[in-house]
Amino acid sequence: MSDTRETVTYRVEHKTDLSYATPVAQARFNIRLKPYAWPGQEISEQQLVLTPQPASAVDEDGPYLINTTRIQFEQPLTELSVTSQFTMAITPPAPPTTAMTIADVREMAAASRDLSILSPAPYLFASRIAGLDPAIADWAAPLLPPDRSIVEAANALTHAVHEKIAYQSGSSTSRTPPGEAFAAGRGVCQDQSHVMIAALRAHSIPAAYISGYLNTRPPPGQEKLVGADAMHAWVAVWCGEDGWVTFDPTNDRLTDSDHVTVGMGRDFGDVSPIDGVFVGSTVQNLSYAVDVRRVD
Amino acid sequence: MNEGAPAFQGETLFGPDPGSAPLGWYRAPERGDIFASAGEDMSRLWREVASSLGQLGDGDLARMQSYLDRNVEDLGLAFRLTGDERERPWPLGPMPVLIGADEWDRLEAGLIQRAELLEHVVDDIYGEQKLINDGHLPAALASGSPNFARRMVGLRPPGGYHLRIYAVDLARGPTGEWRVLSDRTRLPTGIGYALENRLALIRSTGGLLASIGARRITEFFEALRFGIAEDCARADPRIGLLTPGRFNQSYPEQAHLARHLGFSLVEGRDLTVRDGRLYVRTVAGLKRIDGLWRWINTGDIDPMAFDQHSQIGVAGLVDACRSGQLSVANWPGAGVVESRAMSAFLPRLAKVVTGGPLMLPNAATWWCGQKAERDIALSRFDGLVFASAFRGSVPGIPEGSTRIGADMDPQAREEIMQGLARRPMDYVAQELVETSTTPSIVDGRFEPRRFTLRCFLARGPNGQWVAMPGGFARISKQGHLRTALMERDDFSADLCIVDESHGTRTVRPPDLDPPPVRRGGGQLPSQAADNLFWLGRYGERLHQTARIVRILVENSDGPVGRSALPESLTTADRLAALLRQWSAAPAAPADEDHPSPHDMAIAALTDNSLSGSIPSLIEKARQIALLLRDRLSRDSWRAVHRSLPAVDAMDSDSLIDACDAVVAQTAAITQLVSDNMGRTAAWRFYDMGIATERASMMLQAVQAIVPGSASAEDLTALLDLIDGTALYRSRYLTIPFIAPVLDMVLLDPAEPRGLAHQARRLVDHLSALPDLREDGLPEEPLRLAQMLNAKIAGMEADKLTGPVLDGLRDDLGALAATIGRRYFLQPDAPASRESGGLLA
Repeated sequence: MSDTRETVTYRVEHKTDLSYATPVAQARFNIRLKPYAWPGQEISEQQLVLTPQPASAVDEDGPYLINTTRIQFEQPLTELSVTSQFTMAITPPAPPTTAMTIADVREMAAASRDLSILSPAPYLFASRIAGLDPAIADWAAPLLPPDRSIVEAANALTHAVHEKIAYQSGSSTSRTPPGEAFAAGRGVCQDQSHVMIAALRAHSIPAAYISGYLNTRPPPGQEKLVGADAMHAWVAVWCGEDGWVTFDPTNDRLTDSDHVTVGMGRDFGDVSPIDGVFVGSTVQNLSYAVDVRRVD
Repeated sequence: MNEGAPAFQGETLFGPDPGSAPLGWYRAPERGDIFASAGEDMSRLWREVASSLGQLGDGDLARMQSYLDRNVEDLGLAFRLTGDERERPWPLGPMPVLIGADEWDRLEAGLIQRAELLEHVVDDIYGEQKLINDGHLPAALASGSPNFARRMVGLRPPGGYHLRIYAVDLARGPTGEWRVLSDRTRLPTGIGYALENRLALIRSTGGLLASIGARRITEFFEALRFGIAEDCARADPRIGLLTPGRFNQSYPEQAHLARHLGFSLVEGRDLTVRDGRLYVRTVAGLKRIDGLWRWINTGDIDPMAFDQHSQIGVAGLVDACRSGQLSVANWPGAGVVESRAMSAFLPRLAKVVTGGPLMLPNAATWWCGQKAERDIALSRFDGLVFASAFRGSVPGIPEGSTRIGADMDPQAREEIMQGLARRPMDYVAQELVETSTTPSIVDGRFEPRRFTLRCFLARGPNGQWVAMPGGFARISKQGHLRTALMERDDFSADLCIVDESHGTRTVRPPDLDPPPVRRGGGQLPSQAADNLFWLGRYGERLHQTARIVRILVENSDGPVGRSALPESLTTADRLAALLRQWSAAPAAPADEDHPSPHDMAIAALTDNSLSGSIPSLIEKARQIALLLRDRLSRDSWRAVHRSLPAVDAMDSDSLIDACDAVVAQTAAITQLVSDNMGRTAAWRFYDMGIATERASMMLQAVQAIVPGSASAEDLTALLDLIDGTALYRSRYLTIPFIAPVLDMVLLDPAEPRGLAHQARRLVDHLSALPDLREDGLPEEPLRLAQMLNAKIAGMEADKLTGPVLDGLRDDLGALAATIGRRYFLQPDAPASRESGGLLA
């Protein structure tokens, strides 16, 4: 773990292989693996390698902070391999300094005159996966009183989610609603993030879902971070005048130079790395490998 | 008014005379009744309508209601309440609500102003967002709406209009002032019912509406149709009405509208997007769609752009929107302005945008996301109505409903207070809008009932807004109208706009060039072809099953299956085996206690659990008919839904009656459908369904009844199946023998129920269908049909052995499967996948 604000450079390679029991027709996919321009991140040598080559591939921006490559196949597909590679230089963000309270943030967000993707307004309301859950709202209420400092409250909530939702790989799917993970008391980074988002939104605090990677090769003598073998997820909290501040409930801390951001949306659905539709059987194998290597 | 009117109407000694003034008995509430407060001219029209309704019912207003109910049923007007599995008849009262032309003109101007304002706001939200950046509209008002589609920002509709069709609910207050209760820019639900209400009322009342000078509403639908067509990229566009499917609450309405407007009723799976263009799968291949009237939510229209798990959308539809090649009404995302919270800002936005106030105010609304407004709401808590700001449920208020502050119990109050403390932006407070009453016929007399109106606007040619001079009133028996949907015991009434002076005015019909003359029904969507084919098949299967059951009942007096030796099987045994093969009768029990033919017939006529029984087949045919609602004529529709006579298990005659009824009814349906359908591809698929099923059942019947040897009785049964007994006797002057009978039922092409005739029919139909091959060779289905036809033509009756018959059945099966592959949608629904496992 590095607490200094020095710039760190990584080479990231993320390979995904999909295969189908029988060929699928009219396959279309959204691939969301190219990192979006994010403060303190400098991307270079980025490429997306697709095998087989799709009939068409179109790069799109949005609708949230995400780059989407839309691909379409005209021939039946039995296998698809997607490899995303890029080099990223990261200067970790300065720690938040605002003294605003939750009440301040709430009024400011509701009155916002900005509908752009970095404004608080889009992240203030329930989204498809991160809906409002009464049990989560009640649980978080004592942590989020209106007069508490937003940064202090977000830190406390990060810790509370870390304690409440035990990390257990394979315990959920990408569609698990936060209420379910909350009731079960276990989940993966995605569930921990969704629970934290649901808690914040239940109290009118704008919160967003971030997908990205963690440094998979910690310096000698340090333990590997949880979630480093795959894509990772964490939470951005809108802190009024300080804007978006990012917290990692899985590792119970603010994010730093170990966190490589790919995109931000209202929940997993907006930034899901690969999704799509096709005609045919869903039986398939899926394997992936993530490597995040320091190159500086 | 009516201070001196008798308190108990209808209880005078003789009752009102026919033609008397039934509204003379009407006892209006103290304030605000729309009839009681009408001016002299209008009051006269109200009384005129009321007394005409009385006369039409021969002095009995309740009788008038039953005339109308029958017309509603004939029109197939139906709807579902939330949670209903089956459709229920649409409730319509005979007494319309009347509004005079002057009052309507003012309303119309206000509605058009509102429509234009809403268009401006939608355009701003998805465009430069100036109203938001300048502080006239908080960003949260857009992002809070479940109908906000960020993906549509910057994506302008081809004609420039986000809104083409707009519905609005209005309430009339006790002093006659009108208020907008809610806006509908997502789905104009009810527009089809308004149309059908008018049709039903005209049918039941003859010239009444014309005599009072009620404005016609048909021109409005013409304007709507041409408005949508105008934005389309091609001059002679193909327009679809995109439905979520038959399980949707308003599917019957959508089917009616599609038929009325001449749009194709399409589901997502009928459509596909290629290179930014939308196509419908038809029997002639992919055909371009230029315009869509969508009846599904934006979030469901495209699994690639919105919810990946949507099963009702079309992958890539947003690409087609982006390419400028597709006109969509309303444009995706247009629903963003229909939130209740928007009403809090419209008075101010009207000033900013139009420079003046709203001509037609909405119910005063405070959005609790702002501190000052929230403080007002809290300080006047008891006197206000609380509701979800963006529809959807919020703590203390279930979805679709509202709560009056003063009526809340302490627990509800506590819940709402906590909700307001945690997420104030999810709530609005609104002034209580009192609704006035209108005379409605309840239990045969006029009673005051509270009402709200739903009005409809559409852009006609040149983008001009046109209001439907009509709409429908929702009339509540409960007296509270706080929910958006029809509730149990609510009913509807037509809204008539009348010119006090009895002059007639209509929406000016659009100036149009006559279209080039053409024939044919356009290209038949593959799914409709599939449904028509199966409607034909199920109808025929029903018909033949009923014939077999009838022969079984008529032909036997002992239990089935008594004989041990196959050679001595009775005709009843053979028929019973056939019914079992078709899953129309229960499997033979293992023990000695064999069911009687009578029991078998009862099972075939009543047992829902048998997939081939008559009630099961009827249900299947009805389900398919639902999907063809826009294609079947009303008479055919009624015939499909006519119920069967009851079966009395103790009475053999009732069994035969039931069989006769099924035989007659299926024949009538076939006749009606065939007679009323143009000789287009649609009819060909229906008829091919009949031919395929008839051929298949005939072969199976021959194989079941003639296994090696057959008695004269067996052969007579077979002849009965093709109605051929009389013909056989006239032709042969002897008892039935195998070869002559088989020649008649299988090989004689002149025999309309025989196999050879079906093979010819299939060849004829398939040759007339569109051909996708460019090399001039026949397509596979036609090739197989020609082979089958030639094979049958070359056969001799005395050489029809078991293996030969098996071969024919295989050929027929292969032909049916090939027709399915070539013309129908592939059975695989698009599957979606998720990328679970990619994450830690």
